[in-house]
Amino acid sequence: MFSKYRKFINGADNRSLEIDSKVSDYGPAAHSTLIGAGVTIEGKVLSHEDIVIAGEVQGVLMATNHHVHIAKSGVVTADITAKIVSIEGSVTGNITGLESVIIAATSVVQGNVECPRVRLEDGAKFKGSIEMNPGEPAQSVLPIFSVSNAKVHRSLKESGQTAIKAS
Amino acid sequence: MPQPPIKPRATLTKQATKLLPSALLPELLGCIDTDKRLVVLDMGHAMASTVRFFGEYRCQLNFIDLTAEQFVATPDEDLSHRQRVILMRQALTLAPSVKLDICLFWDVFSYLSDAYIKAFIEALEPHIGPATGALIINPRDSRCYLPFCRYGVADQDHFMQIDNTGTQPTVFARSQRDLNNLIDYFAIDRGRLIAEGRAEYLLFENRDSDKTDRSMI
Repeated sequence: MFSKYRKFINGADNRSLEIDSKVSDYGPAAHSTLIGAGVTIEGKVLSHEDIVIAGEVQGVLMATNHHVHIAKSGVVTADITAKIVSIEGSVTGNITGLESVIIAATSVVQGNVECPRVRLEDGAKFKGSIEMNPGEPAQSVLPIFSVSNAKVHRSLKESGQTAIKAS
Repeated sequence: MPQPPIKPRATLTKQATKLLPSALLPELLGCIDTDKRLVVLDMGHAMASTVRFFGEYRCQLNFIDLTAEQFVATPDEDLSHRQRVILMRQALTLAPSVKLDICLFWDVFSYLSDAYIKAFIEALEPHIGPATGALIINPRDSRCYLPFCRYGVADQDHFMQIDNTGTQPTVFARSQRDLNNLIDYFAIDRGRLIAEGRAEYLLFENRDSDKTDRSMI
């Protein structure tokens, strides 16, 4: 189960996949949306479920009720807002965690983090500021969103699908 | 007479973590007002222990590792002072209104030439107020070797020290007096010896300080 998922992330397979195990020590559990290692999304991503980024996202990423996980192969150039944000890959942009933000040892993060609770592991490359307030309760979450207004570019050009408007 | 820079020792490849007792960290952290939002500048590599420690407070923690900046790693000695100040301001990335409560400079001054320290101090000046306290780790004197480490705050009385990887940049070892003369509006309030030929210094803003040698160690 787990190895199947690992293979998927590392192998840049773009097919959708129902995740039946958690991504890693940090990642969300089952039934997450996966943006695979061969996929680039430009635009605004609004998600109403946990989301794993193993590919590239440029723009805005919001999952206010859910967990966003940036896998080791994930490259995000976007502002992120989510209930929980965990990062093992690369993020350039501001991060707002409504509950917690985890910056793992393998991550490279440049931007400002705002969250009541932040955990950073030794080895992480971080440049920016961390705004913390341990006394602040987790912020109330907003209504559910859907993935919208996003252009998906498959990096595998031979697929013939250079841009997909998601709804 | 300024001492020539000390050439780096061999490249380190493995990391070791240790706790380092500090006599001055309690003085610096003792000033924390828990009713107020704290603004901290950490001039080193982001460390887990520092985030964990300040995570207990309502605070903004700014990590700016100057030694990772290209203009510091390969300095251009032909730049004017004004150009250096601009580069330092760009690297600092602090909002103009930010006033710092605590500056954890660690050993960054030992990796900067005199000209770059002066530029850094000038670039930082708008963010320093009467309540700003700072801490420096420095070679005990201008002949001492400086261990190649990353530093963090472990608790009220201890630093966390991790051996760094890669090649140590050129070290500009300075005496307390030489350092005190470079830091302009800061003044060394007191100093204490710590392990491996180093000293820690506690600094406060003091624009009227007498910069003559007081040998506080």
